[in-house]
Amino acid sequence: MIYVENLQKSFVDLRRGQFTALGGVTFDVQPGEIYGLLGPNGAGKTTTLRILSTVLRPTGGSAVVAGYDVSTHPEEVRARIGFMSCNTGIYDRMTAWEMVEYFGRLYGMQEHVLQARLEEIFETLKMQEIRDVLGSKMSTGMKQKVSIARTIIHDPPVLIFDEPTSGLDVLVAREVLKTIMTLKDRGKCIIFSTHIMREVEKLCDRIAIIHQGRILAAGTRRELEARYQQPDMEELFFDLISQSETQRP
Amino acid sequence: MMTVQWRNVRLILLRELRDQLRDRRTLFMVAVLPLLLYPALGIGMLQLTMLFTEQPRTVVILGAEHLAQPPLLKDGSFDPRWFKTAETTAKLRVVTDLREASRSTPEAVEEQPQQTQTELLRKAQAIRKKLAERQQLTSKLTKTIDPVEMAAFTQQSNSISEQLTELFSTSGMQVLLIIPDDFGKHVLQVNQQLAERQPTELLDYERPIVVHNNADEKSLVAFSRVREALNAWEAEILAVRLKLAKLPSNLPDPVKPISEDLASKTQLQAVMWSKLFPALLIIMSITGAFYPAIDLCAGEKERGTMETLLICPARRTEIVLGKFFTVMCFSVATAVLNLISMGMTGKHMASMMRGPMATGAAMEFPPLHALIWIIVLLLPLAAMFSALCLSLATFARSSKEGQYYLTPLLMVTLGLTVFCLSPGIELSGFYSVMPIVGVALLLKGLLLNPQDTLLYWYAIPVLVTSVGYSLISLWWAIDQFQREEVLFREAERFELRLWLRHLFRDKEPTPTFTEGAFCFLIIMFVQFAAFQTLSQASLGADGKIDTIRAMRVLLVQQVAIIAMPALLMGMILTSAPRRTLRINLPSLKVLGIAIVLALACHPLSLALVGAIKEFFPKLDDSINHVMQEMGSSNQPVWLTLLVFAVAPGICEEIAFRGFILSGFGHSGRRGLAIVLSSLAFGLMHMIPQQIFNAALLGMVLGLIAYRGNSLFPCIAFHICYNGLAVMHGRWGQHLVEQNPQGIARGWLYVLSPTAGIHYTGLTLVLAGGVFLAAMAWLIRGLTAAEHLTTREPVSVLPSPARAS
Repeated sequence: MIYVENLQKSFVDLRRGQFTALGGVTFDVQPGEIYGLLGPNGAGKTTTLRILSTVLRPTGGSAVVAGYDVSTHPEEVRARIGFMSCNTGIYDRMTAWEMVEYFGRLYGMQEHVLQARLEEIFETLKMQEIRDVLGSKMSTGMKQKVSIARTIIHDPPVLIFDEPTSGLDVLVAREVLKTIMTLKDRGKCIIFSTHIMREVEKLCDRIAIIHQGRILAAGTRRELEARYQQPDMEELFFDLISQSETQRP
Repeated sequence: MMTVQWRNVRLILLRELRDQLRDRRTLFMVAVLPLLLYPALGIGMLQLTMLFTEQPRTVVILGAEHLAQPPLLKDGSFDPRWFKTAETTAKLRVVTDLREASRSTPEAVEEQPQQTQTELLRKAQAIRKKLAERQQLTSKLTKTIDPVEMAAFTQQSNSISEQLTELFSTSGMQVLLIIPDDFGKHVLQVNQQLAERQPTELLDYERPIVVHNNADEKSLVAFSRVREALNAWEAEILAVRLKLAKLPSNLPDPVKPISEDLASKTQLQAVMWSKLFPALLIIMSITGAFYPAIDLCAGEKERGTMETLLICPARRTEIVLGKFFTVMCFSVATAVLNLISMGMTGKHMASMMRGPMATGAAMEFPPLHALIWIIVLLLPLAAMFSALCLSLATFARSSKEGQYYLTPLLMVTLGLTVFCLSPGIELSGFYSVMPIVGVALLLKGLLLNPQDTLLYWYAIPVLVTSVGYSLISLWWAIDQFQREEVLFREAERFELRLWLRHLFRDKEPTPTFTEGAFCFLIIMFVQFAAFQTLSQASLGADGKIDTIRAMRVLLVQQVAIIAMPALLMGMILTSAPRRTLRINLPSLKVLGIAIVLALACHPLSLALVGAIKEFFPKLDDSINHVMQEMGSSNQPVWLTLLVFAVAPGICEEIAFRGFILSGFGHSGRRGLAIVLSSLAFGLMHMIPQQIFNAALLGMVLGLIAYRGNSLFPCIAFHICYNGLAVMHGRWGQHLVEQNPQGIARGWLYVLSPTAGIHYTGLTLVLAGGVFLAAMAWLIRGLTAAEHLTTREPVSVLPSPARAS
């Protein structure tokens, strides 16, 4: 479903000059699987996911999402993914219903399918009471629900979540993670990035630890534990990062 | 390949419209403000005119007892009959030196003024004394011939003048009227002498003096009123004099033409609207685009919804189009609402003011056909503003930043609008293709004089270019929206030190777009700044332009202002200066083609410039003269060729086909680079005629530069072309001098005494053929070369990312 091959991205930045955000990342994600990208801030997680959602263009390597190359068929890719990050806000001057409906229409859904799907999603996500509330009047939790509804309105086969729980309180974060779990159970191909260890442990089938634009280690939790003989994921993460820091000048 | 899904555009448009209509700020700007503003202004104006009472100004009259009959004053102020409207007399307070002070007004509250009156009179006397002193000096000055004495007198007189100004401005009076002694008596005497037909030797009696200061607005106004009274009074004195002498009363007006004003009521209205409407239309359509554009781009980035929109299946083009139409809707709506509101208010005010003020009729609404024109012209104008605002707002990271970027656009627009309102400016070929100016002038003309058929012809270029400009702006907006460095600009702190370090550390082999543009701006700016110095330097000892000096200055200008910036920037800012400036050995074939092209371009561009001469505003005669003089055969041929062919050939090529073309072509878009660099090349020539011609030649030169990948063919072309132009002028002049009467005819050229060498149609056809063939060869070679080079990575940096 998602095949990433030696993906690279570099750009020019005032402070750092020519800066390599991604230095060749390779992984793949299958349907019914949650793939976790774990890394500190600035590791390249957001850049990877932005390339997968075709918002950024790669400077090297390739990525195929839902059967389409992100560089050559960006529209096809965008039509088949649901993308949610802390940068994808919701409109202040639109109600929850209008917002989700608008995106449904942009995805080209037929009107009667869309209305039925809207009712269904608002029911399952328990959003009926915020149906006619404007975005500016919502709490962070409500906004996050609307974002999720927006992400899944067209029932995409691939879902990309970039730190979906950042800034949320425990209750809402739990709700979000639960929704992602049910999506996995429905056979979606999900990629999930975070810097919170516990979320990865709880959610992900396979994990990639990413730092300074490179994948340091990847595999199932058990594989990683066995390979590095470290049962504690947090310790393992920390060891890998500090090891990588000392190796590079 | 890129099909636009109009369904998506419509969806985005409808959403953005609804979004904006839910925004209180936008609604206020677009709908509420115009509906409230003009009525409020109207009411305010009415109230102000009612409340406005003008402060009376003080006029001091010295020697009032010597005034001639009939009496100028009545009850201590000017007699109302000397004014057109009798109320004017109340606006002038008169203080005289009459002893009896026969004041009819109650004296109870006059205690205070009484004191100031004596004070005023004292100061007036002082001024009178100084004036007399200066008068004496002037008469002494006319008598003396000793230069030392003259200088001393002049100095004294000047210092007295300064003292007078000082005295008068602190005196508290606005006008001082000094009546010389026995003035009235003299007038009477002359009357009598004339009546008795006696010789009148008394006509040069001393005249009254009116002291005032035109630099002071109060004094200016008071003076104009006093003058009105004095003129009327003088006319009356003259009438009496004529009557006494038994002469006809119209004796002093042997001509007195009758003025016949044919302005109809509608035309008077038009004068008003032709000024207000275009200005309002332009300013309101940009204001209407301003705020929604910021909100739709920078605002959306700020609120974090931009990425939400970017990840939906709609293409960037569709998103931009949706936003563009939204902004345009608001731009048009703002302009139309403002016009309607202002028109209605004007009409209402006019009906209220009817009666004594018949000019109120000038506020009547413009006719229907004018309204249709307004809408037709508004659409491309609004489109251009919307696209421009959108591009700039896309670049901004926040609403605040957006306002900073858009303010210059607003200022430029205001400047152009004010320019168009100036009375002398009329639509011409050149103005009709200028953005904003064309629309404003066409509208002004149509409102003023709808019968003028020429204007309807101008409507074609105005509309075509307006649509063109809006399409270019829209293309720019879409281009901005597809660049990730624009959409995802990080809010990093700007530090000069960091930026400079970045500039030198992260050098690329060729300059960036910005560096190229900056080089051009530096050239333009230095040229502008040095203009005064350079033109001073080209003056000879006699204060006139010395041709040889002027040519030397031109040479310096070429090297120092045009070539130097490009050379320096190429060395400092790029890691491959030779590649940047295209210092490569050329292929002989390209070199040859360049020279042949120059030969072909010479007659063609002469014919072109001749054909469209009328299109441009006329050049000042002095410029023409200087240009002729420099090209004339009085100057040594080597110098002329050096200044006009070799130096520009080398210097301008280094700048425009070297650094600037490399900069504009940084991203690999060669067509764009050629067009932009030739526009820059044209603009550098300052004179409209040359701008056009140079821009066209710039295109040819750009093609040669890319095709040969070397600067030398460009230099060869440039030197040949300019050299031919110089020689064409010189040789033509020479031949005419040899053969002053006759017209010599040849196959290729005709010689005429007025125009010099004039090429025949045959030459033009031949040159055209050669030109087309050479251009085809250049373009074909270029597209072939592009296939080979497109896959080359844009950045060939050896990754200095972590070098430190």
